[in-house]
Amino acid sequence: MLTPADRERYRRQLPLIGDEGQERLREAAVLVAGAGGLGTSIALHCAYAGIGRIRIVDQDRVDLSNLNRQILYRDADLGKSKAVAAAERLRGAGPHLRVEPVEASIDAENVRELAEGVDLILDGMDNFDARYLLADAARECAVPFIHGAIHGFFGQVTTIIPETTPCLRCIVPHPPPGGAVPILGVTAGVIGCMQTAEAIKWLAGTGDLLAGRLLLWDGLRAETEVLAVEGDAACPVCGEHRRKCE
Amino acid sequence: MQILVKTFASLRDVAERETMVCIEEGAVVGDLMEVLFRRYPGLEEALFSSPGELKRFVNILVNGRNIHFMRGMDTVLHDGDRVVLFPPAGGG
Ligand SMILES: [Zn+2]
Repeated sequence: MLTPADRERYRRQLPLIGDEGQERLREAAVLVAGAGGLGTSIALHCAYAGIGRIRIVDQDRVDLSNLNRQILYRDADLGKSKAVAAAERLRGAGPHLRVEPVEASIDAENVRELAEGVDLILDGMDNFDARYLLADAARECAVPFIHGAIHGFFGQVTTIIPETTPCLRCIVPHPPPGGAVPILGVTAGVIGCMQTAEAIKWLAGTGDLLAGRLLLWDGLRAETEVLAVEGDAACPVCGEHRRKCE
Repeated sequence: MQILVKTFASLRDVAERETMVCIEEGAVVGDLMEVLFRRYPGLEEALFSSPGELKRFVNILVNGRNIHFMRGMDTVLHDGDRVVLFPPAGGG
């Protein structure tokens, strides 16, 4: 049951997702993988929307060059653990919010444990090695993996639902070069918000997801395209399942 | 036959975002690329690491399917196919 204070706080979104949707957000746990540009935008909007539990994972410390886009941090956070600083900044953003900061680099050893017990995984990583690991863990845990990636003025978003949509390797079979690519804060904001919108819709059970669809945002030309993407029977990850179904 | 080609992200610096290509029946993706490279000088360098060698991370989708899982540059095209070229973003 929503409290009277919940009803007031969420008055402007209850018409959109209903009491039941709001309760589902409160009961939900999400993994925000990475607390960089995407991860800070995602965590902020998850918290304010009323999602109850946020596990946020990052091994890095806040650096001055992060502060053009990683909007949970300020000068006073320089040198602090990103996960811890993010959790501090989010405190009080929701009445039922619990933030679980994890200072760790996501690898094959810990990914299953990090993914355990969450309702979905939000991709805030800056490299595809970790993204593939997370997507595999999401598949094993049968929860959605909401992929986002950014470069300059461009970004992409898709929602991967195990056994239903093409997997991450169907969509991006070979990772683009990693490293410190140019990124504008608004790109991280736009793409992180689109990912969070997907999470809210999935949890509240409303709307249409970017499932089997890849959204490409071109901020430079102010254009958005949504491409239908197909899974492939030759995919090393989901191909076997796909062949069985055909 | 007619093939619709769309480009995204940095490829739009060297090519139009959308173009129709008229190409002979039985053409493969590699043939389409040659037409596009003549039409857009600069596209070859953006897509290929060396002649005939597609940069691995560049995605070419034919009707939403990645040619990586089909026959690569030898993937056969059909009239009305929609081909999308894009280098995925990787940052976060
Ligand atoms: Zn797959």
